[in-house]
Amino acid sequence: MVTTSTPLTRSMQRRQSRMLKLLDSERFLASAMLLPAVAYIVLLVGIPLVTAILFSFSDATMASPEIDGLNFDTFITVLNDPVFRRSLGNSIGFTVISQASMVVLGNVLALALMKNFPGKWFVRLLILLPWATPIAIGAIGWLWIYDSVYSPIDWIFRQVGLLGIQGDHVGLISRAPNMYWLGQYGPFSVILVQIWRMLPMSTVILMAGLSSIPQDVKDAAEVDGVGFWRTYFQVTVPLIRPIILVAFLFGVIFTFTDMTIIHVLTRGGSDNSTQVLASYAYYKGIDGGNLSQGAAIAVFMLPVLLGLAMILLRIARRSEVR
Amino acid sequence: MVGVNVSVDHVNLADIPGSAAAEIAAGEGHDLIEYLSPPSHLAPAVMDLTDVNEEADRRFGTRVELTRRSTYNPTTNKYFGYCHSWVPDPANYRRSMWASVGYENGPATWADLLEGGTRIRNEQGIQMGLGMSNELDSNLAVRAVLWAFGGTEQDENENITINSPETIAALEYMKNLYDSCMTPEVFSWTAASNNQLLVAGQASYILNSISAYRTAAEIDYNIADDIGFGSPLLGPTGIGVVSEHVIPIYIIPNHARNPDAAKEFLLHLTANSDSLVFNSKLYNFPTYFDLVPELTRDGGWLDLDPFGGRPVDKLAVLRNAPEWSTVIGHPGPANPAIGEVFNTFILPQMFAAVARGEMTPDQAAADAEAKMIPIFERWKAEGLMGGGA
Repeated sequence: MVTTSTPLTRSMQRRQSRMLKLLDSERFLASAMLLPAVAYIVLLVGIPLVTAILFSFSDATMASPEIDGLNFDTFITVLNDPVFRRSLGNSIGFTVISQASMVVLGNVLALALMKNFPGKWFVRLLILLPWATPIAIGAIGWLWIYDSVYSPIDWIFRQVGLLGIQGDHVGLISRAPNMYWLGQYGPFSVILVQIWRMLPMSTVILMAGLSSIPQDVKDAAEVDGVGFWRTYFQVTVPLIRPIILVAFLFGVIFTFTDMTIIHVLTRGGSDNSTQVLASYAYYKGIDGGNLSQGAAIAVFMLPVLLGLAMILLRIARRSEVR
Repeated sequence: MVGVNVSVDHVNLADIPGSAAAEIAAGEGHDLIEYLSPPSHLAPAVMDLTDVNEEADRRFGTRVELTRRSTYNPTTNKYFGYCHSWVPDPANYRRSMWASVGYENGPATWADLLEGGTRIRNEQGIQMGLGMSNELDSNLAVRAVLWAFGGTEQDENENITINSPETIAALEYMKNLYDSCMTPEVFSWTAASNNQLLVAGQASYILNSISAYRTAAEIDYNIADDIGFGSPLLGPTGIGVVSEHVIPIYIIPNHARNPDAAKEFLLHLTANSDSLVFNSKLYNFPTYFDLVPELTRDGGWLDLDPFGGRPVDKLAVLRNAPEWSTVIGHPGPANPAIGEVFNTFILPQMFAAVARGEMTPDQAAADAEAKMIPIFERWKAEGLMGGGA
């Protein structure tokens, strides 16, 4: 049987061949696959970011979010605000301390979890739990743990004689029966929760880095009789430095921009000792209705995060080249 | 109006400002939004409710004055909201503790509080709880102290008055009170602290609504029986006044699609105030007392608590609550500047700085004033408040 192609089928064949050619084109495929990510970034990151920057140069309020004109007045007001300056210092301080601690503790945990021991899977599960828990729920749990009167930590401290028991016993740390974690040691308490929250992610990333070190490198170090510390600092750390930086970068971004922990635990503290840029921006901009000042405070996070990300990515890239 | 279906979305109190901001920015959303404090900063984005307020006055009689001052902006001459009820903020104390130090009916003055509270702390090891933290109850408690000593945040004409000898006297008093009767827990006070500590017998005195008492009654009537109520403590000036505890205020955003139905809903809700007050277990008080005669009449709900109070007239002290309750921003209106000062916790922080010994009273008052000046200037520039007269 002879088949004849009509003009219609020829046109369909041509279209099909064009489509196949297009699907074989790397340039087209790359663009098509990147499009959802680009759209996501533009719609959910780019537009809100530009809007926040515009708000910060305006005098918009929550009730009048129109941008009539742009000026620096809001930034001048914000810079003269002592609570803002304290929030900026706290944001940087909390982030540096918690992430430095996290890198150290994450390394320790990752090294420990790389070893074989009974119940390893269970320990790994426990360590990962804080990361799987929604942050608000975790923070509420910590609010109870830090309770002024019924803190379980205080109870343990009283049992071992570190805290006083009303009326008859003076503790080693204090006469009082409670530590008043959030009332007296707000910054310490908040940093501890930040470490608790970020440690699992850091540990998992570092474990991935450790498992990628070739066994022959480790064997070579062992054959040469190199001790643990020297192996760790001269072999392991240089090889996983890019991974450490990735963990650090993620940790910094999550910690620097977080307001949930502060909002649940202290709302900034009665002396603003735990106030951070994210929480202060919210209280000023949304609760206080001063949208432009809230936006200006939030915008101060941008250069810090941008600069930090660029520095860390550059270091990571340099490490990779070596 | 018949045939109107009302659907209600319950939104967490803390999420209401954010949700309202998003709806206002989008120009779409609910026809009615209920706040628990005066949202005066939203005036440009909400409808003028003068008509529904005037209609309510015409239908229901004389309103409690603080409900007007919480919803009316004298500068724009408009009502930005509608208040159907409010919640008093009486003193709550543990009767047995205060009786043991000679105050059978609880303290009557701030001097009594210091004297009796110190003895309770020394003899029974129980502290008192007046929060100085970034939260609602602390905001109310420190204002009660401030007002009792003659201090104010602003005057009637909305000028800042915080840096005054009266404020400094209030700060000195609070420093003494903290050193004698309190622990650092007051710096991490939360909205639940009042209830938790009073019920647990870990606080001798708090300022709160009657919710702590109702909570106790659900757990153990022996505890509830031991809770007494008092009117605001008198300061050296003879003033004893407290802010409302919370004040439900409805706004109708400009984007509302059914404003007429929304206004009718508010009037209908108010007309049923007796049901509202009763079902809140007397937590909410009406804007129009004439609508709930059972509440205050001799032998009524306050004299014979229908929810099992022992003694039955335990809540009778609330009969005069409209006389000793006022609005945040007292003696001025609850304007947007006061709202921002309230929501950024400037006053609790001022008291906390002195109590902690981080600032002298003079420094703390000057510091609070410095923080308030740009806020007041900002909202005056918006045309939403007066000042200067």
